[in-house]
Amino acid sequence: MTPQVTINIDGANIKAARGSSVLDAALEHGTCIPHLCRVPYIESIGACRLCIVEHVVNGWSKVTTSCTLLVQEGMVILSNTEKIRKLRRNVAELLVAEAPNSRAIQDIAVRCGVKEVRYPFRNSDCVLCGRCVQLCPGTFGVKAIGFVGRGKDRRVESPFDIRSELCNECGRCIDFCPMTVVPCDGPMKTGEEYLCRNCESKMDSAEEQGICISCDLGEGFQCERHYSNF
Amino acid sequence: MTKTKTIKSLEALRKKLLKDRKKIQSTLIMCGGTGCQASHCQEVVDAVKNELFEQGLAKSVCVRTTGCHGFCEQGPLMVIEPGNIFYCHISPDDAHEIVTKTIREGEVVEHLLYTDPVSGKQVQTELEIPFYRAQERHLLAQNRLVDPCSIEDYIAIGGYSALVKTLFEIAPESVVREIKDSGLRGRGGGGFPTGRKWAACREAPGDEKYVICNADEGDPGAYMDRCVLEGNPHLVIEGMMIGAWAIGARQGYVYVRNEYPLAVKNTRVAIQQAREFGLLGDNILGSSFSFDIDIARGGGAFVCGESTALMSSLEGKVGEPRPKDLHTVVDGLWHKPTTLNNVETWANVPSIILNGSSWFASKGSKGSKGTKILALTGHIKNTGLVEVAMGTTINTVVFDIGGGGSNGNSIKAVQTGGPSGGCLPADKFDLPVDFDELAKAGSMVGSGGMVVMGEETCMVDVAKYFLTFLQDESCGKCVPCRMGIDRMLEIVTDITEGNGTPQQISLLEELGSTVSETALCGLGKTAANPVLSTLRYFREEYEKHISEKKCPAGVCQALITYTIDPEKCTCCGICKRACPHKAIIGKKKQVHAINLDLCQKCGICRSECEFDAIQVK
Repeated sequence: MTPQVTINIDGANIKAARGSSVLDAALEHGTCIPHLCRVPYIESIGACRLCIVEHVVNGWSKVTTSCTLLVQEGMVILSNTEKIRKLRRNVAELLVAEAPNSRAIQDIAVRCGVKEVRYPFRNSDCVLCGRCVQLCPGTFGVKAIGFVGRGKDRRVESPFDIRSELCNECGRCIDFCPMTVVPCDGPMKTGEEYLCRNCESKMDSAEEQGICISCDLGEGFQCERHYSNF
Repeated sequence: MTKTKTIKSLEALRKKLLKDRKKIQSTLIMCGGTGCQASHCQEVVDAVKNELFEQGLAKSVCVRTTGCHGFCEQGPLMVIEPGNIFYCHISPDDAHEIVTKTIREGEVVEHLLYTDPVSGKQVQTELEIPFYRAQERHLLAQNRLVDPCSIEDYIAIGGYSALVKTLFEIAPESVVREIKDSGLRGRGGGGFPTGRKWAACREAPGDEKYVICNADEGDPGAYMDRCVLEGNPHLVIEGMMIGAWAIGARQGYVYVRNEYPLAVKNTRVAIQQAREFGLLGDNILGSSFSFDIDIARGGGAFVCGESTALMSSLEGKVGEPRPKDLHTVVDGLWHKPTTLNNVETWANVPSIILNGSSWFASKGSKGSKGTKILALTGHIKNTGLVEVAMGTTINTVVFDIGGGGSNGNSIKAVQTGGPSGGCLPADKFDLPVDFDELAKAGSMVGSGGMVVMGEETCMVDVAKYFLTFLQDESCGKCVPCRMGIDRMLEIVTDITEGNGTPQQISLLEELGSTVSETALCGLGKTAANPVLSTLRYFREEYEKHISEKKCPAGVCQALITYTIDPEKCTCCGICKRACPHKAIIGKKKQVHAINLDLCQKCGICRSECEFDAIQVK
């Protein structure tokens, strides 16, 4: 059996396998920390910054992502403080303003407590969470897709913009993409961008942050919490 | 070539070099930094050498092309020793006069002397120049003493004696303690105590460790590292060797951006020479210490100045930062313990070892020790590289060294620390250049860029400039940095175009603090500083842009109109001819006016008008 360590998340002492991340430990224990870019069993890249927590060391708290933070004996983590909720809400607001038509992103935004979006909507097809790039098995360990460009030119692309022979058509990139979940009323029209009010992610759950609703979305999005609710 | 296999042979070489040097009567020290090379100093050097040869002085007079002296604005410049005579703006035609008059007859060529713009007086020697006088030049002063491509020069002035002392007299733990006691803090921007970094790396488990010199300087307008690496590469190499001995590394890397070709060349030559002299390689000077350095050239991404992104780039991967939950001193290059320091930090190490930690700690302020090189630019009389003791006030730097605003204009603010730093208003100029004090005021020392801004600068426009820079340079990996900077820029652009709303100011503040709290790396964490600091000190400018739709400084194009003052207009017609859009109407002897429908607000008419008749509102 893997050696265990005890860590404290929001006041609860929980046991976790050495070498696992704080996010994994929290999810296993049932503490829901919102996350997007993290893919189970693959080393996290810490890109979406939604799973931020406060890591308390000697009375000082440091904001860091729980997916990249490995568990250590006696670690103290605060995942649901006022400060964290506010930061998480602001990050989720940025995400949903970028892709207001994605149910997965909407769901995350609502769970993070976003009630209004203060930025003009953009209708992006990709939020660069990087799940597809992380998951792509490619051929002989060489990925068929990767990130190209820097800053606002960053995009996911196959080498030289042509379909790569390394792609073995497994379709995982599509399965795990938060944008491929069918949007509520079909694709939005330009000039009519709005935060969808019809889908289940806008339900009362906005009042109870961090509590999962067993949404269809979870299944499409391969959300672990979706399965753990059954 | 003598190989210095032991301390004895190194000391013998030093003695021989010093003896040879006594034969030289005078030395012409010519600045050969990138700034002076751009103003054709090489042609001057060739002309002077030719002239010396023709007059039969080639053997007794030495011409030394050195690294940057700091006063780049006055280049090409030359100092003649003995006498410390300072000549500036030299052209190849002056070579004859310099050699005949100054070298042969000991007279001064008056038209090459420097005129102090403040007092209007000519100054004969370098020491008398106010720009130099108010500085405490420790690192920069060494640049003048050596030809960067000559290891002999460096050895002659006592180079590599700190290495000898380290290898044979001090144990590695004591080296770390010495650096800790000196209070040296990282010069690249963060200001992390160097001694603590070394101690952590030394204690980190693992046999294989690395040292890296970060010369990927990218801040707009800053070139301190370039100057040190170009001018005195052996100093940096010696510092790295001492660090490697202290932490137990066998391999070092200099990560230098490819846009610094002279720095790359000089460092490459220096490493090659050190290898030939046996100062790099196996069993250095007969000790058990083996160490080598390689150069890695950066492709020019600003983010690669961040330690983890630099290491990714060095490993041959995309230069993107990694999460730093385990610090790089434990999990760095190729997941091995790695000590990464800035060029200036490494360059400070040999003198700390030679002179002791208390010597270093005696300079500077309470929390920040030693000297710091600053790149002084902007709306100021004297621009160039400035080295001052930490704790010197901004007032001293801007007014005593910089000579105050150019064209007699008053100074509004100073931007310290590049895109990661902040803007400080003139009433904060009594603050010292100190890591902690500047951070408290919402800015930072950073790598040492100091951009002085006059009254004609719009602070909202400054924030917009830095956001545009950061938007381009952000790697785009994490959400807060990629989208946050983009949205901040969107809001600031709205404000400068007159579409801003009062709610946007509080949104900017909230977004700024979110980005700085949640971003993955140092670039993102400090990206909001230009916005937050201008909002803190120049809030009323933002408010005027929003409520009155006016740009008080007359910079933001959408909010200004050009008009001609009929009382000042002399009907000369120059503006009419200069206007590329044919927007100026008026005939001879008839006061001109601007057709606002056609005016593109390019400002050409204003710069052409000799009577100050064109106004911006």
